[in-house]
Amino acid sequence: MPHVEPLRAEQIRDPELLALMARAEELGVPDALFTRILAHVPGHAKAFLNALLVSHSQGNVDHRLKEIIRIQLARFAGDAYFGALRSRKAMAAGLDEASIDAGCGDYDDDPRYSEAERVALRYADQMYLDPRKVDAAFYDEMKRHYSEAQIMELGGFIALHYGMQVFMRALDARPLGTVDA
Amino acid sequence: MLDEGVGNYAASSRFTSAEKIALRYSELMATDPQALDAAFYAELRSHYDEPQIVELGAFIGFNIGYHTFFGTLKFYPMFSPDGALVSQEESERLYGAAPVSLAGGSAD
Repeated sequence: MPHVEPLRAEQIRDPELLALMARAEELGVPDALFTRILAHVPGHAKAFLNALLVSHSQGNVDHRLKEIIRIQLARFAGDAYFGALRSRKAMAAGLDEASIDAGCGDYDDDPRYSEAERVALRYADQMYLDPRKVDAAFYDEMKRHYSEAQIMELGGFIALHYGMQVFMRALDARPLGTVDA
Repeated sequence: MLDEGVGNYAASSRFTSAEKIALRYSELMATDPQALDAAFYAELRSHYDEPQIVELGAFIGFNIGYHTFFGTLKFYPMFSPDGALVSQEESERLYGAAPVSLAGGSAD
């Protein structure tokens, strides 16, 4: 069990939050546990769940790439909850576990990734491993492959998802359906 | 007080036990999540209810994520501590190298 008891599903009656939960269930990330914990503070639950969904599944950066980055960050954070979840949309678009593992590992030498994808993966792992390396020269390199809007989309996505992974790690949460959930 | 809360809260007399454990929650989420065990949450519950713990945890996580991102973008507050609009270069000089609280410096 996570350190904070999730609300029971029937305790969540807010139509807006239920609609967001339906969108999350369709995507597969996050599962209902995240919202049932956040729903102790309904305003937070709606704001964070909506932001997670928008940043992950909308925008102009390939959703499969963002899914690899999301899992890369969860593994780096040591977050068993978000690290175990998978986007159905990304998997349906052809993403597989081998590509996820490669993207979380030695992606620089992996021919399956383009230069643009590698710099995005490096953006995520350097952000929290060594943010001093994400300097003006790094952003110049990013701008060779991405627009300013895409860079903000990636940066905001990385920051929000990493932050929520840190939160779920602190609660020692596991996905619903696993033994410890 | 801001600076003391960041750097010296455990020994400070400015903070209550409830405030100190909230500050410790934030510190450990970033630096040592393994220390956030059942005993820690039991202590947290002696000061905060479940909604407050969730509120704190989500707020802290969000800030851990975003502060690092914003730090890489190298942008600084638009205004000086006395409320004057300043350039980014001037703001970096004011805030960048050694941030101090807007209250006017260290807590001493």
